Amino acid sequence: MSDVNEEVTRAQLRHGLRIATLLVAAATVFGLGLSNLLRYLDVHESPLTQLAAFAALGAVLAGEAALLVRGRSWGRLRGPAIAVVLAASALSYVTLPDGRTSTGVDWIFGAANWAGLVVLLDRPLRSAVLFLLAHDLTALLHLVLLDEPSRGDLARFATGSVSVIGFPLCVAVVATVLRGLSAAAAASREEIERVRVAEAVAAESHRRRRQRFAELSVTTVPLLEGLADGSLRPENSVVQRRCAIEAARMRRLFAEADTVADPLLHELRHCIDVADRKGVVVELDARGQWPTPPVAVRRDLTEAVLIVLATAASRARVTVVGGADLVSVSVVADCGEVDVPSPATPGVRVEALNNDDTVWMEAQWQPIPQRTS
Amino acid sequence: MAADSAADELITAVIVDDHVAITAGVRSWCSEAVPPIDLIDAGDRLADVWTGPGAAADVVIFDLELVPRRPDFGELRRLVDYGRRVVVYSQHIDDATAIKCVDLGALAYLTKREGPEHLVPAIRAAARGEPYTAPSLSGALVADDDPGRPRLSQRETEVLRAWFVSSSKELVAAKLNITAKTVDTYIARVRVKYANVGRAARSKSELVGRALDDGLITLAELNQKVTSL
Repeated sequence: MSDVNEEVTRAQLRHGLRIATLLVAAATVFGLGLSNLLRYLDVHESPLTQLAAFAALGAVLAGEAALLVRGRSWGRLRGPAIAVVLAASALSYVTLPDGRTSTGVDWIFGAANWAGLVVLLDRPLRSAVLFLLAHDLTALLHLVLLDEPSRGDLARFATGSVSVIGFPLCVAVVATVLRGLSAAAAASREEIERVRVAEAVAAESHRRRRQRFAELSVTTVPLLEGLADGSLRPENSVVQRRCAIEAARMRRLFAEADTVADPLLHELRHCIDVADRKGVVVELDARGQWPTPPVAVRRDLTEAVLIVLATAASRARVTVVGGADLVSVSVVADCGEVDVPSPATPGVRVEALNNDDTVWMEAQWQPIPQRTS
Repeated sequence: MAADSAADELITAVIVDDHVAITAGVRSWCSEAVPPIDLIDAGDRLADVWTGPGAAADVVIFDLELVPRRPDFGELRRLVDYGRRVVVYSQHIDDATAIKCVDLGALAYLTKREGPEHLVPAIRAAARGEPYTAPSLSGALVADDDPGRPRLSQRETEVLRAWFVSSSKELVAAKLNITAKTVDTYIARVRVKYANVGRAARSKSELVGRALDDGLITLAELNQKVTSL
């Protein structure tokens, strides 16, 4: 939330600066510029040209005002707008009477700089600098080429240039700094977010690993310890069966982290794979569609398959029949008596049927209808 | 496997399948069957089913996909309309294909994962003009949620489901506390109900007629409409 607030504040700040700059420019062009122009209109050789130059500046400022109201920037019109301002400046200087550079008659000297600045306020600083130099250079060319400048004239021009370039430049610098600040803030915010995500991922995988280890420690670790200290003999068929069951449980555990369309079938395939490697021929067949059961339920459903397959002698058939209200996982295999696992989650029922050498174990889960919130 | 007097006569079957390994396997199963079944190999030539020794065969074992990924329902329809008794033997395991074949009038639909323990009884049943429902087809019927499907009783659905899951009628009987014969009855009733809906075909109407004659199902049960649940 605070990030959003910061961003809003920054946008408001930039917007405010744009308004302030436009007001200053308007005051300069329509106040000082226009009064000087009107006061010395009869001095000009071609008053119409001067008025046209003034109208050009006025049009650019009006454009900025319109864009500001609509919350847009100059975009592709920026180049033409600057060209208009520089053309107005050149036009005004070409028809300016000799020896009048940077005097009261030279109204455009202190007006065109602001008109250009409002157009370039959201551009890099160098654009504003180049524009101001271009404008100042136009005035200097007029002074040097068309007049015979005295030392006094040059001094007046230099003093004038300080305010003509200096003030708009200050505004442009402030705008640039403001932009730099918000870019840096955005970058650091992204960096902080990245670090936070990485931390959360690391914490979650650590938690998962510990949880997996805790789950294995109940059944797998005693088996491994027994094998290591020699109390369990690998040639014992009971030990072999336990190993097969633990191997399948581990495969299932690893498969639980996979992202697949049907986790139940995916985990069943992993359980079956262990039996496949032992040489048991396993068929897997599934019909219907079912909601994805939670991990704990999937473990209960696959546990029966896992235990029967670990004991199966040669062949087994694993089937899943599902609907919205019942998911049933069945295994039929030629194995002797096996212990019926007791499900850990409510809603799961395991039934076993022994017929000669064949065991049919079925785990059923009834999803509790979830209220849609 | 109830001994049937009709089953004792020598049955001839013609197989259309472009895979020689399948034909060789089926031939070996047929010759090992007791009593053996005489198998005629038509290869991938459908013409051999219509002419020569294949034309007189009791049962047609039909590979639905002689052209890969293009199940030939049209040829199945022609065979059935001509009165041939067809066992579809397909590598397809999707339910819609299985149910469509049954609707067209095939007496049995088996996937190629199902071996002699289902194919041989299916050929014998087809020779008698009776349907055979293998576990895969049973699964397809259970999962069928077509609005036009016939209405099955709860017990029929249970039996179909158990037969699909266990693939053993003894297990189904033990699980549901009924006899293996009753298991067959329930499955047969389901097939009669399916034969009574959809497209008309001679094999289907024969099936329904015989079921009514035998008292396997009553007209009232047969005409129960689809559940309006």
